[in-house]
Amino acid sequence: MTSTACFIIVSRNDIPIYEAEVGSAAKREDAAQLHQFVLHAALDIVQDLAWTTSAMFLKAIDRFNDLVVSVYVTAGHTRFMLLHDSRNEDGIKSFFQEVHELYIKILLNPLYLPGSRITSSHFDTKVRALARKYL
Amino acid sequence: MADPASTPLGKMLLEEITPVVMVLCTPYVEESCLKNGLSLIQLLSPFCDFTNIDVPVRTASDQPYRLRKFKLRLFYSSDIRQPNLEVAKERLKKVITHVGEKNFLESSDPSQVNNLLSRPESEMLPSWFQFFNKELVRTLSFSDHEAFDHPVACLLVVSSKDDEPVNRFVDLFNTNKLPSLLNDGAMDPKIMKHYLLLHDNQDGPFNKATKLLADMRNAFGQNDCQIICFNSSQDGKIHHQDNPWAPFKSDALPTENLGGFLNLDDLNEIKDFMQELSSKHIIPYMEQKIRVLNQQVSATRKGFRNQIKNLWWRKGKEDTIDTPNGPVYTFNSIESQIRILGDYAFMLGDYELALSNYRLISTDYKLDKAWKRYAGVQEMMGLTYFLLDQSRKDAEYCMENAFNTYLKLGSAGRRNTTRCGLWWAEMLKTRDQLKEAATVYFRICGEDTLHSAVMLEQASFCYLLSKPPMLHKYGFHLVLSGDHYKKCDQIKHAIRTYRSAIPVYKGTTWSLIKDHVHFHIGQWYALLGMYDVAVTHMLEVLASTHQSKTTQELFLRDFLQIVQKTGKTFEVLKLQLPVINISSLKVIFEDQRTNASAAAARVKESLWRSLEEDIIPSSTARSNWLELQSKIMPRKYKESNICVAGEALKVDIEFKNPLQIPISVSSVSLMCELCANPEEDANSSNNEVQNNEDRTSTSSGDINSCLILSEVDFSLEGGETTVVQLTVTPRIEGILKIVGVKWKLSSAVVGLCNFEFNPVNRVVRGRRKQHSPSSDLKFLVIKSLPRLQGFIHSLPEKTYAGDLRPLVLELSNQSKSPVKNLKMKISNPRFLYAGNQKELNADFPACLKKKMNVEKSGRHANVNKTLQNLYHFPEDISVQEETSLSWPLWFHAAVPGNIPLYITIYYEMEGVSSIMKYRTLRMHYNLQVLPSLDVSFQLSTRPSRSQEFLLRMDVVNKTSSECFQVHQLSSVGQQWEISLLQPVDSILPSQSLFAGQSLSCFFMLKDRRRSSTSEDSIPSLSHIQSDVRLGPQDNSEAFFDVSSSPLADFHDCERSSRGMSSQVGCEYKVDFVFITQLLKGNSDSSSNTPLVFSHHACDCSPSSMSPISWLVDGPRTIQHNFSAPPCEVNLKMTITNSSDAIASVHINTFDSPSSNNQLINDATTSQPPEHQSGWSEIPIVNDTKIITTEALTTRVPKSLSLESVPQFIWSGTSSTKLVLQPRSTAEIPLQICVFTPGIYDLSNYILNWNLTPVNDGENQGEANKSTGVCQGYPYYLSVLESNFKD
Repeated sequence: MTSTACFIIVSRNDIPIYEAEVGSAAKREDAAQLHQFVLHAALDIVQDLAWTTSAMFLKAIDRFNDLVVSVYVTAGHTRFMLLHDSRNEDGIKSFFQEVHELYIKILLNPLYLPGSRITSSHFDTKVRALARKYL
Repeated sequence: MADPASTPLGKMLLEEITPVVMVLCTPYVEESCLKNGLSLIQLLSPFCDFTNIDVPVRTASDQPYRLRKFKLRLFYSSDIRQPNLEVAKERLKKVITHVGEKNFLESSDPSQVNNLLSRPESEMLPSWFQFFNKELVRTLSFSDHEAFDHPVACLLVVSSKDDEPVNRFVDLFNTNKLPSLLNDGAMDPKIMKHYLLLHDNQDGPFNKATKLLADMRNAFGQNDCQIICFNSSQDGKIHHQDNPWAPFKSDALPTENLGGFLNLDDLNEIKDFMQELSSKHIIPYMEQKIRVLNQQVSATRKGFRNQIKNLWWRKGKEDTIDTPNGPVYTFNSIESQIRILGDYAFMLGDYELALSNYRLISTDYKLDKAWKRYAGVQEMMGLTYFLLDQSRKDAEYCMENAFNTYLKLGSAGRRNTTRCGLWWAEMLKTRDQLKEAATVYFRICGEDTLHSAVMLEQASFCYLLSKPPMLHKYGFHLVLSGDHYKKCDQIKHAIRTYRSAIPVYKGTTWSLIKDHVHFHIGQWYALLGMYDVAVTHMLEVLASTHQSKTTQELFLRDFLQIVQKTGKTFEVLKLQLPVINISSLKVIFEDQRTNASAAAARVKESLWRSLEEDIIPSSTARSNWLELQSKIMPRKYKESNICVAGEALKVDIEFKNPLQIPISVSSVSLMCELCANPEEDANSSNNEVQNNEDRTSTSSGDINSCLILSEVDFSLEGGETTVVQLTVTPRIEGILKIVGVKWKLSSAVVGLCNFEFNPVNRVVRGRRKQHSPSSDLKFLVIKSLPRLQGFIHSLPEKTYAGDLRPLVLELSNQSKSPVKNLKMKISNPRFLYAGNQKELNADFPACLKKKMNVEKSGRHANVNKTLQNLYHFPEDISVQEETSLSWPLWFHAAVPGNIPLYITIYYEMEGVSSIMKYRTLRMHYNLQVLPSLDVSFQLSTRPSRSQEFLLRMDVVNKTSSECFQVHQLSSVGQQWEISLLQPVDSILPSQSLFAGQSLSCFFMLKDRRRSSTSEDSIPSLSHIQSDVRLGPQDNSEAFFDVSSSPLADFHDCERSSRGMSSQVGCEYKVDFVFITQLLKGNSDSSSNTPLVFSHHACDCSPSSMSPISWLVDGPRTIQHNFSAPPCEVNLKMTITNSSDAIASVHINTFDSPSSNNQLINDATTSQPPEHQSGWSEIPIVNDTKIITTEALTTRVPKSLSLESVPQFIWSGTSSTKLVLQPRSTAEIPLQICVFTPGIYDLSNYILNWNLTPVNDGENQGEANKSTGVCQGYPYYLSVLESNFKD
């Protein structure tokens, strides 16, 4: 498991709809906003790269010092962004794919409005479990 | 791409990488120059830049080319050394600080990203970057591994004032004073020298100078010596149109007087000299040197053989040298020579030659592991490629290579890395690879935070300018840059960068980012002492719900500190703490409708309105009232609400604390405007356009006396929500407008919230529905009016069902004028009922008891009023000024449950106001009524006697703890006589029902009217036994009078509420009132009077009640000799019609036992259960002698049917029909024929009856019972065989 990892789902309107610090390292107050900054800045790169490939998993697209941003773009242009400091690409890919399945289940909920914040605690638990498993 | 030389990088290179001329001069020279406010170099510098010369240059190749641009850099010999690091840093810092100050003041932030992008590029990019970059590059000049900073020539200047100028020239070029570069062997000390004699025309005639020049020429050679005469102007007042020195002079000195002694001739002379120096001396010298070096290099290094040799030689050297900077190369080593050759070629624009030499030398340096030199050469190669505009890839590769190599050197190569990076980034920018350029800028960032900050800011601009713009990156890098600035105490720069980032993050939902930016800007502004601005930024982060508790605490603490430092209380229009739920806003005001309590105000208006419908003046009166109003008020206020001076307006607002930490809110009050009615005072209309400040000032001043505002303090825990009621009381007439609410957060910041533009969810009070929100909060204040206050004393909140007690309603009038015409309406007359004034002081419960001597004439006097729920107070009753009126009320808890009681009292004022004639007082109470006793009655006829009924009463005490004392059972009306079948003592010795206990009692009920059919004269009242005492028999206590006021009235209410007519019409229906008492003596000794409970049951009737009753009469036992003809038995049936209608009765008889049996079975099954309600469920009580007839009919035939196998037949007709007049009796003879002895049940007949009403107007209750079928009841006949034989 990586020491630092921050997972964010960004809606097509660039609004974060789910955030989770999934790293094993002790949480630091200022780290959380640095992570947001890095991920937010990486949106530009995603915008460029998303249309150059048909693959959903864009691999590591951006980095800030030793933090790497990996991105997975769904068909609806929802972006799963993971900030991490490990180099386990296969694990990250599996992680994204499984989260995508979870996300689709959320979307299937008729009471969920696409683009709104994901508040399901079940989803949160599952994502954290996946993070422990793959990252 | 355009000419690389014209790009920014190209221009910079052509400016920076040019031949250096070392200047040596005597003090007298400087002195003469300083007359003009300039040093010698400053004097000469403007003329060193040749933009339009045309010099043919021939370097290594035979083909000459023309040089069009050329520049010389002049330096004093003392400056030709590596600059002091600390000094350089200090200078750069000064540059940045200066820029920071300047930009900070004039910065105007674009608020929108679009605005940001729409500006032209030149405006967007701050110009000081270029200046800074240049300064940064200059800190690296005169490094020993590069040759382009090495002086190409030396200019020795001596003044004509000097003694023995020729000797001075020699002294000047004294090796001791020369820069270290020349002395330590890094460069060739044999340098081209040029001698200049400077003559100041003010010092003396020109002749002396010419003589000196001749001497010089003799000593140093004809060509290398020259003379300049200057300071020809005597007065020093020459003003130059566009001062050539201005750009070279530091800003600190005044520029007007520069070159004041130089006239045009002097300038031309200087210009000519410099041009001659460069074109006739320096360029040819460099050409010469290139050619020589080239030959040398070709001889030693070019060609296959030399290369092999070189390689082998270098291999051999490999082990020996291992210093970090590589081997030391002196000027005459071949490597240095090649480097010089390359640099000279570069400076003369022969880039091909330069490149070939750089390539050659770079492999050597690499092999020698002279990394710094290698990187330097790579850097130059990159630049050469760039200027040649050949291979972009090569250029970038070289730059990257150089960059990385410098980086590998660590701190030694740090500044070189920076320079290399800057050039590289410039190169990328020229080629529109802005994203890559930004990355390079980012990589330049090193340990020097200040420089990193500038680099990051430059990177951010690269992102902004890239196509399409990468705004996210732009923002991020600005923030990073700001952080770096902050670390170097460049707070103004930090604020500037953060503020530039705001448009990017404006409206973002990335909450942490937004908080970070605003919080830091706020903090930094506070550091600068600009607290006002700081507060505005801090406000943005105050309500950050997503932050952790500690962060929220930090935000709030810092915010309050800043506010404290400002030293004044801030008024903040959109303070987010606490959050005000505008949609929860409720305005409660009283016009003609007044509320007795807050609970009444919360009741829906529609409910009140339906209650008040028939007591307030009718609609015609209302329209009159409106007309009247329109005359008084201007049209625009016709729609506004009315309130009365001196009466409080209440506003409910919900406050919510969004944070996890507690906050304290104090001095919450409304902001109101009260201005005079414009109709009355036209001048005061400008009051309405008062701005905020004026308003607060007025409210603190004269408004203070006109308005009373309530203030509320409270504190909210984390996440808590609270509703606050605020009141405003206008004291004078006018127009009151509720503008908003203000509060103090932590007694430091005043938050304001205006209601105006928000939709207000007001409690709809007015009749006019279409309100604009602003008019909802506008009130017309009218003159103070009487206002009644009402209160019901000792109304229990919780009681048991059946509770009957007197209450007192108190109405008090605090005003100066009386009110009259009081009316009261109660929503639920079953529970509450207005009594008579004389009952006010009556003794309870004694007043309910029967009084033998009192005339009963007043009974049922107010039945009609009760039915309409409306009570008119007597005409003469009025509430005088400053008095109160008490009025008795009767309370009866009719049914269990949560019962809301609405009481509205109407009253009229006299001559006080023309706008408002009447008012209503609304009172609202909630009662909780608990179930107490469950009383049920069953009535059944006695088959034998049609006028007598059996009454069974079942009582269950449903309370958990109370003990009721049974008192009496009364039947309502006078035609029933009730008596106990057995003494109560035998059933209920204690006379009290304990919790959970149940009681069954049997009574005999007699229809007195029927029993005394003969005479209906009024019987003496004492004779009537309509009440039965269930309490102690020896008690002489009187009965409660169920026929007098409260009990009878409540009974009527009960009846009407159960949908029955109030008339006790049908004589077979009877109402009962069961009265118990609850002794409270144990708990409450002060009021020892027992509570009275009455339970009402209405319309009890026998389950199989029919208007037709009959009696079969005849012999019971017959002896007969069956050998004789069949035995005939004569029977008599007496049929009574007790109804008021004509009845036709049809008697059918059945003969066959099977059919009889069948019929009985049918009859039992077809009988719906409710007909025998309760009776079948009763367990057969052994000790009671009463057996119900119905039960017998169902039970008996089964057993008898087997026995009655011997048949009998009805003789005569099988069907008889007759008509009975109302209230008449008829007799019918019946006959049966018996064939065998036995016991017979003669019940196998039915009576069909049909009623034809005489008068349709009455007896509607019976109309639906106009037909019926009655099964015959058992009549047992024993027929015995007579014993005598014939």
